[in-house]
Amino acid sequence: MITLSDLGAAVLLLGMIMYAVFGGADFGGGIWTAFASGPRKKEQRESLFHAIGPVWETNHVWLIFVVVVLFMVFPKGFAYLFIALLAPLVIALVGINFRGAAFAFRHFGRQTGREVPPIARTFSVSSMLTPFALGMTVTAAASERIRIVGGEVVSAPWAWITPFTVVGGLVGMAVCALLAPIYMTVRTDGALQDDFRKRGMAAGWILGGLTLLEIPVAFISAPHFAAKLFLPPSLACITLAVASGLATQALLLKRRHLPAQIAAAGTVALVLLGFGAAMYPDLILGELSIAAASAPRATLLVFFAVLPFGVALLAPALFFLYWTFRGPPNPKTPPG
Amino acid sequence: MDNVIAARALMGISLGFHIIYATIGIGLPLMLMLAEGLSLRTGDELYHRMARRWIRPAGLLFAIGAVSGTILSFELGFLWPRFMEQGGPLIGLPFWLEGYAFFLEAIFLGLYAYGGRRLSPRTLFLCTIPLTVAAAASAVFVISANAWMNTPAGFRLEGGVLTDIDPLRAMANPAWAHQAVHGTLAAYAATGFAMAGIYALALLRGRAPAYGKKALVLALAVAGISLPLMLISGDRSAAFLARHEKAKLAAAEALFETRAGAPLIIGGWPDPEVKKVRYGIEIPGLLSLFAFGDLDAVVTGLDGFPPGEVPDPRLVHPFFDLMVGSFFFMTAVAAWFWWRRWRAGEVPTDRRLLWSVVLAAPFGMIALESGWLVTEFGRQPWIVHGVMRVESGVTPNAGMGAVFLTFIIVYAVLTVGLLQMLLRQPESEQKGDSGEARHDHP
Repeated sequence: MITLSDLGAAVLLLGMIMYAVFGGADFGGGIWTAFASGPRKKEQRESLFHAIGPVWETNHVWLIFVVVVLFMVFPKGFAYLFIALLAPLVIALVGINFRGAAFAFRHFGRQTGREVPPIARTFSVSSMLTPFALGMTVTAAASERIRIVGGEVVSAPWAWITPFTVVGGLVGMAVCALLAPIYMTVRTDGALQDDFRKRGMAAGWILGGLTLLEIPVAFISAPHFAAKLFLPPSLACITLAVASGLATQALLLKRRHLPAQIAAAGTVALVLLGFGAAMYPDLILGELSIAAASAPRATLLVFFAVLPFGVALLAPALFFLYWTFRGPPNPKTPPG
Repeated sequence: MDNVIAARALMGISLGFHIIYATIGIGLPLMLMLAEGLSLRTGDELYHRMARRWIRPAGLLFAIGAVSGTILSFELGFLWPRFMEQGGPLIGLPFWLEGYAFFLEAIFLGLYAYGGRRLSPRTLFLCTIPLTVAAAASAVFVISANAWMNTPAGFRLEGGVLTDIDPLRAMANPAWAHQAVHGTLAAYAATGFAMAGIYALALLRGRAPAYGKKALVLALAVAGISLPLMLISGDRSAAFLARHEKAKLAAAEALFETRAGAPLIIGGWPDPEVKKVRYGIEIPGLLSLFAFGDLDAVVTGLDGFPPGEVPDPRLVHPFFDLMVGSFFFMTAVAAWFWWRRWRAGEVPTDRRLLWSVVLAAPFGMIALESGWLVTEFGRQPWIVHGVMRVESGVTPNAGMGAVFLTFIIVYAVLTVGLLQMLLRQPESEQKGDSGEARHDHP
């Protein structure tokens, strides 16, 4: 029987998927400006930069969305997670602030044609740090290291650092590194497009390797989670994720960029869906269930009453944004 | 560092920092909308160029606003988890609505700021409308959460636990309406004055006179319309506090004793030892008049509450006076400007007047920050008035002192970088009227 709380958890997971698929690509852009290489190094950086500009603030709001859903629908889960995971959340926040400021300083500093503040150089470092810390935070909820006794978090402040969460952090980074170049193949052409295509394929193998590595690591470091991974719902998601990842590679090989973009985003969504399915019915594995973390019914009712109106406002606006900024990231002439 | 003090200091600094960017984020979209609208209506390109020139500083300030706002949403969890565990189901609704407003703000800001080459001037103007509306809406929603902490509603308190939760009633709590109006108008007045100061300074330096005059008039028009409305809203707020937040009013006015014909005390230093205000100016009966419309009405003083449940007037009264004083200073300057404008029939450029505008420019922000300190210090020792004390809401995590220091460094780095960026004019703008931001429509 699916409850309102379960549906709330679905919205939470959906928010995380949206943040990963959209916001993740922006962090990936930061990662690939650091690893830009070859004769078109400068063009790679420029085009990534111009692609991020108009959309990163919008994509960032998905993180706020996730936080708000968490404290409105799962106030207990919010309280416990933010007590137990103080350190990675602070690290992620520092990364978010430096990335955002560094991007803005570089972008608007460029217009002055002069030196930008030193903080602008932290753009790529904070683009790596943030998804790593967030990847650790998310997997920490499954790490079986957060202990709650009698309504108090009793685990040590650093208990969340395990091989399982470290690989989780790396998966977070790899997700970002995969999406950015593949999205860029759709918006560039010629040799630059080929650069991004190759980088996307390399990142795909890295993400695949890390995700599969997480399974044996989980058996050692988070055995209950590992066992749940092989129950039908999450096993189905993982199988589909592997298939979708392979399809991405094949499509990139055949230079079918738009389908590859959709397949890459689908792969990331399926990985997170598999994670969510393995977590169900818990919010903090083994310690706090979705039902126990949930807000009173009255709150859930207003939450779902607002949701369709919010989506009705948001969907066309989002579509208009991405549609306007389609095509070459820094066009010499307006499209159309 | 004591954990509660560290948590309060960090939350205070984070909000104090974010409020500046949030304020500009509410006020500047309105200015953009007016400028783009005027450009389309009058066919005067100068207005369009004015708005497009604001993009560079606006883009910087909005980016810092977005990321520093994220700090706040996380801090609700890692500083005040006990408060959010109880309060989340009640104040979640305004944040949930605010989330959509954020999305729309970010979307239309992206379209407006980066769409210069992809959208027509008309579409750019149309983008500023949802941007302005969403920015104001997000302020109105988030203020509801703060108002709930001041006048909590929509639940029953049973053995320290909130039951019978009604999120709609919580959102429409008694203080919401007047706080939302007061806060949003304050953002318009503060942004208007800040921008007026920048253009007054440019005019004083003899830069871009035609452009500067238009921008000055626009900025002082926004401020000039907001200020009289602020007076009405402030008066309504005082009357509200007298009925619903008596301790806050007593602390703001430094009224130690409950009495009929309560005086208004201007300035001075409240001394809780002797329960008197030193060096203040007393106007008999005026507080009773403002609070209840009657010179002889009884106003509750700080002695009307159990000891340990009252705010410290030394933290509230000076900021209250600073807020009110800033208001009158700005109002006087704005009135002087508009009187001269009306008498002369053209934009006045006399140096004394322009210097007064420059001097008054920061006082909108000062008033806004002071007003926020009044409402926060005035609620102490409560995080949710009458329901939860601040120390009951704080995180059990030790080491908040270290987190506090971390974020002090973050804010310092952001501020230094931002100032470096803002104080440096793009070369194209230094040339004057012909200058054009590179992101402009071809």
